[in-house]
Amino acid sequence: MTELEAGGAGTLAPVRSGAAPGRYRDILIALIAFAVLASLPLFTGSKALLDFVIRCSAYGLFATSLNLLVGYTGLTSFGHGMFFGLGAYSFGLIMQKLGVPIPVAFVATLAITAVIAAVIGAICVRLKEIYFAFVTLAFQMLIHSTILSWASFTGGDQGLRGGIPRPSFLGINLANHVHLYIASCALLILGLLAMRQIAQSPFGFTLRMIRDNAARASFLGIDVWRAKLTVFVLAALFASMGGMVMALFVSGAYPEFAYWTISGEGIFINMLGGVSTFLGPMVGTVLLLLLNDTVTRFTEYHGIVLGIVILFFALGLRKGLLDFVAEWFSQRRDAGKGH
Amino acid sequence: MTRTRTPGISRRSTLALMGAGAMSVAAPWVARAQAKTIKIGMPTILSGRVAQLGTSSRNAVMLEVEKVNAAGGLAGRQIEMVIRDSKGQPQEAARVARELVNTDGCELLLDGEASSGSFAVHEVARDLGVLCIHTCSEASSLTADPKQHIPNAFRCVRQGIHDSIVGGSYAAAIAKAKGLKKWATCSPDYAYGRDTTGEFTLYLKRFAPDVEIISESWPKLFQPDYTEVVTKILQAKPQALYSCLWGGDLTSYIDQANIYAMFSQMEVFAVNMADYTALTVVKNLPKGIHSGNRYIKTFPTTPENAAWGDAYKAKYNEYPTNWSWQNATAVMFLAEAAKKANSADGKKLAEALKGLTIKCPFGADGTVTMRGDDHTLVGYAIGWGTTIPQEPYVPEVKAGDWKTIFELEAEWKKSKGYT
Repeated sequence: MTELEAGGAGTLAPVRSGAAPGRYRDILIALIAFAVLASLPLFTGSKALLDFVIRCSAYGLFATSLNLLVGYTGLTSFGHGMFFGLGAYSFGLIMQKLGVPIPVAFVATLAITAVIAAVIGAICVRLKEIYFAFVTLAFQMLIHSTILSWASFTGGDQGLRGGIPRPSFLGINLANHVHLYIASCALLILGLLAMRQIAQSPFGFTLRMIRDNAARASFLGIDVWRAKLTVFVLAALFASMGGMVMALFVSGAYPEFAYWTISGEGIFINMLGGVSTFLGPMVGTVLLLLLNDTVTRFTEYHGIVLGIVILFFALGLRKGLLDFVAEWFSQRRDAGKGH
Repeated sequence: MTRTRTPGISRRSTLALMGAGAMSVAAPWVARAQAKTIKIGMPTILSGRVAQLGTSSRNAVMLEVEKVNAAGGLAGRQIEMVIRDSKGQPQEAARVARELVNTDGCELLLDGEASSGSFAVHEVARDLGVLCIHTCSEASSLTADPKQHIPNAFRCVRQGIHDSIVGGSYAAAIAKAKGLKKWATCSPDYAYGRDTTGEFTLYLKRFAPDVEIISESWPKLFQPDYTEVVTKILQAKPQALYSCLWGGDLTSYIDQANIYAMFSQMEVFAVNMADYTALTVVKNLPKGIHSGNRYIKTFPTTPENAAWGDAYKAKYNEYPTNWSWQNATAVMFLAEAAKKANSADGKKLAEALKGLTIKCPFGADGTVTMRGDDHTLVGYAIGWGTTIPQEPYVPEVKAGDWKTIFELEAEWKKSKGYT
């Protein structure tokens, strides 16, 4: 973790200030990205590719939201996976038990996540560094144990069984593979766009200041605790959205979604992609899922391969892939100016 | 400057050679397409703590598939297995299952997942409509609960409720004969442990009403140290102990309880003891532990079963596991269903599988049946016996009575609101 913390706290390049033109550019990029993704089914019949993008949406939302905490605020959460699991379970349970339309369940899940994240966050964000990391991990294990032991409600270790009902709404039928694919892409792009706006807003810059020097931010009159709590809750909401996409993909929710390994994967994705660029975690997600999917096709010793990749990134590049590329470009540019 | 024909290879012959080369490279594919190989996908757990069970499932499947292919395949189509690791994670199991069908072109699925993974694969089968046989998940609700029922999924696995009924009646007979009234339980703290223990004590008390449970322990799954649990049980001084610990947990527990000479102070009933993965790992296997049969080549006591166990050992240099016989049986079912339907089409196979009875080395009477109404395996060899420290480990197994199992299972289903 020292590597990640060093990358997250020390060596970050200052990010360009986001003004209104930047926002229009982001929206334009988002629209183009959505148009490209949404037109994919017209060009390929590969269901595996669509599945891949759906999973990228779930993990991408989750990992990028974790980066709001790790990269932007300097809060290394080891328990962020609890909100991924919470999203999947709340959504699944609401759909199974209440049979409400999907958008209602979606909003209700976000509301539940916000309340729980506010309570957990209020306790956690008072702590710093390793203490914060461990208390978030403790809360994650609490939620995981609750899911396991409250078997009559959550299905225990066997998860939510019987499938999640997906009634049509506004002509969208999420039981249809292509509809689910487009909905996942839309959620991913909207989520990323929203997180980008948060990161580029004055609030986002406040977070960076807190990360770099919390005492200074406090002297400038910023309520550090409130800012940290706000970003903790916001990050939880996007992680919960990722969980809902995953629940729709597997048509169920399982305790593994709230286990610490999911948080670990989130941190690993951030290490792979890089924490100093906004899209670093998204690049990390694509890398990790590609690696996972190709390596598991050929060997059951995928742990060794992934371990070597981690070593390569941690000891070789000493940063995430996108960070490395960004740095390489800026060095080239500086070198060009020098001549 | 003049162009001359070199005496080497002409353009035409080069083209011919390239064509021949392409043909020879493509020939296996063409040949395969002609023989219409049928691909069967299998997600199972090949890494992590239970990798040994997943590997034993793969071994058993390959052993049987070789036989089926040698005999002409599934309705004339050679079987090609595509087996992938799910790491025991449900989301990976779902992904792998979808990939096997959508990308690799698998027409059938054998689901070698345990617990939550099997429910995830079940949803994939519901979604894609592909024929799926669950081969490892013992959770009764997978087939007993009508909400789970889909026409294209079957379960070829022993079931928790069957084990509890047979275990309860066996233990009650011994309790009455030896006057064992004070009982303790010690089982892993998760749904399987709690459900199985609850059902066992339910049937134990039903057959022996004056039994009393005086102590309950719920160690965590994969707990390394059982000292506290062992001392708690010894202090309660029960006459008998029931446990559904399994695998590495059971072997560590026995090794640690041996230090306190626990097994000489009470009768022990450990449903998952009689599995070679546990029997061969315990350092000093105590004599006289009562156990249900998982897989043991001495039960059923038929030459077919012994021969199957030996053939497996000869090929893989280890004994089969409970998961092995279940996976082997699934392949046997597929082969028979294909003969009956004269087709390897998933829908026709599903029709043929309903209510199908086949000859099988693991059957209580030499046959097993895929029950038509809930698509689950019945009639397999199920019984209890006591251990000895060396091979054959459980020399005599008392067979359970399937008539009683059916009666009590129907009652249990009613009590759960399943019928």
